[in-house]
Amino acid sequence: MSKTARRLTRILSMVPWVIAHQGASVSEVCRRFGYTERELLEDLNLVFVCGLPGYGPGDLMVAYVENDEVIVDMAEYFSRPFRLTPAEALGLLASGSALVSTSQAPEVLEQAVGKLAAALGIDADEAIVVELAGESSLVQLLREGVAEGRVVALTYTSLSKGETRERLVEPWSVFSTLGNWYLSGFCRTAGAERVFRVDRIREAQLTDGTFAPPPEPPPPEVRYTPSEDDVRATIRLGARARWVADYYPVEVLSDAGSEMVIEFSAGDPSVAARLLLRLGTDAQLIKGPETRTALEDLRSRIMARYQDR
Amino acid sequence: MKRVIERLLNLLAFLLTTGRPVSAEEIRMTVAGYDQANDEAFRRMFERDKDLLRNMGIPLELRPTDAWEVEYGYVVPRDEYELPDPGLTDEERAALWLSVQVVRLGGQPSGPEALLKLGGGAMSGAGEPLAADLGESVASLAVVFQAVTDRRVLGFEYRDRSRRVHPYGLLHQRGHWYLVAAEAEEVRAYRIDRGSKYTAEGSARAFERPAGFRLREAVPPLPWQAGEADLEAVVRFDPEVAWWARRQLAEPATERPDGGLEARIHVANPSAFVGWLLAFEDHAEIVSPEDLRSQLLELVRGGRDE
Repeated sequence: MSKTARRLTRILSMVPWVIAHQGASVSEVCRRFGYTERELLEDLNLVFVCGLPGYGPGDLMVAYVENDEVIVDMAEYFSRPFRLTPAEALGLLASGSALVSTSQAPEVLEQAVGKLAAALGIDADEAIVVELAGESSLVQLLREGVAEGRVVALTYTSLSKGETRERLVEPWSVFSTLGNWYLSGFCRTAGAERVFRVDRIREAQLTDGTFAPPPEPPPPEVRYTPSEDDVRATIRLGARARWVADYYPVEVLSDAGSEMVIEFSAGDPSVAARLLLRLGTDAQLIKGPETRTALEDLRSRIMARYQDR
Repeated sequence: MKRVIERLLNLLAFLLTTGRPVSAEEIRMTVAGYDQANDEAFRRMFERDKDLLRNMGIPLELRPTDAWEVEYGYVVPRDEYELPDPGLTDEERAALWLSVQVVRLGGQPSGPEALLKLGGGAMSGAGEPLAADLGESVASLAVVFQAVTDRRVLGFEYRDRSRRVHPYGLLHQRGHWYLVAAEAEEVRAYRIDRGSKYTAEGSARAFERPAGFRLREAVPPLPWQAGEADLEAVVRFDPEVAWWARRQLAEPATERPDGGLEARIHVANPSAFVGWLLAFEDHAEIVSPEDLRSQLLELVRGGRDE
């Protein structure tokens, strides 16, 4: 949104509110619309010289401050703010419903979402539903650890290696992205910053240990930091497997529309191997000796299990 | 910028009150700020202003000025311009503001503009430790959402075919956005990121949702429950993965003497099911039915790589 559009939006939002609350104090209007006193006066002065053709005293809007009271008059046509854009309405409803679905939300939020949907002429329950993935008791416990600054003891199964370990973690934040909940924090066991997938946490307990959270914890996101030790694989994706490029942090080497070639990196070759197996004929491994070995190993282990019967 | 904003306020005031479409020429002659000496300068200025207003979401429409549709003029229909008042309290606005700070769409926290229109408020603090990202670029999602709210026909490309559907609702589940819509009489879910070229067509209120329609029920909570098949799979999970399987299953499972699990699972989408089961590597086995076993084995034998 351009600066002009932002300023105009603020004027077209402030004017209706003042019309409905004549004589509100300068500080109230400033607080509500994020104005400094000077900015507010500038915008009121601007409104004051605008109005309807003729542009005489009876045609222009009235806008001024007197005894710390804000007055706007002769502007009946601006007595309501303009409608929300679809993206704005969606943003508010989606975020609101997402929070409501976690049952962490205050009751006022549920009311707000309902009122907003009704004003937009939709049934909030039927037009838009947002569900964040479950695991609510674990998520709740971890969130408690974050809020109280308490170290948590985790039994965690690593996604890539499949091994289960006990870990002591200083929890920084709990967040949800791409349908999974994650915990980020400082892993005392590994002596480094880590992100854990909550559905791989087998058990979690709050310990008596406390910690001081970093003054500015890194933004909650699933960070993928390529490292020298990563195993790389070059993979050709057919049309039906294109989603892989959106879902995993991969490098797209070429994209011919129907076919796409990516470089997939992960700490352990078994990640790419499991993915390749699942994609079947929709994907081929072009290069990556470690991944090929892991894939062959995975194939023979599963075949052995099934032939054993 | 001051001059531009004055001109735009004058233009809006005029178009909101004329109650009839007015031609560009009339705007030029009447509205303060447009009295340009040369035609080209006026045209450029007016184009820029129209774009700006439309990008803000203001309904600036071009309509015939008379029944013969010879001439066209501009109008801002007041009922479409105005935001109906939801009657939010300060607490409710604050709650909405907090929710857009902690739950993001398209990776970006929303700007304050929407809240300003709703009456502003204290927009500070985001102390909640909950953060969620609903993914997806907002652009196509907003088009779909608008079609849902307007109840207009929605056209898009999906799996190499053009669709025209009645969009019933939007559902976010397991990290994906789904459109639940009826094509002909068939109601199904489409993953929004798998489609493209979303465009609303025709007029508003083009359809009604069927009585008793439940959006929540349109997309089953587990991927293998969405589909046409109707199978019961018996699966054995080894002790070391039993906890993880139990956590993901909808059905109760029986514990085996060795600490493993045996589960009877309803499968509506075999390929989604087999894909999920492969995450257990060789620590799970389909006991029956035979068809599902072969489907998994076929994938494992797979297209050998060159």
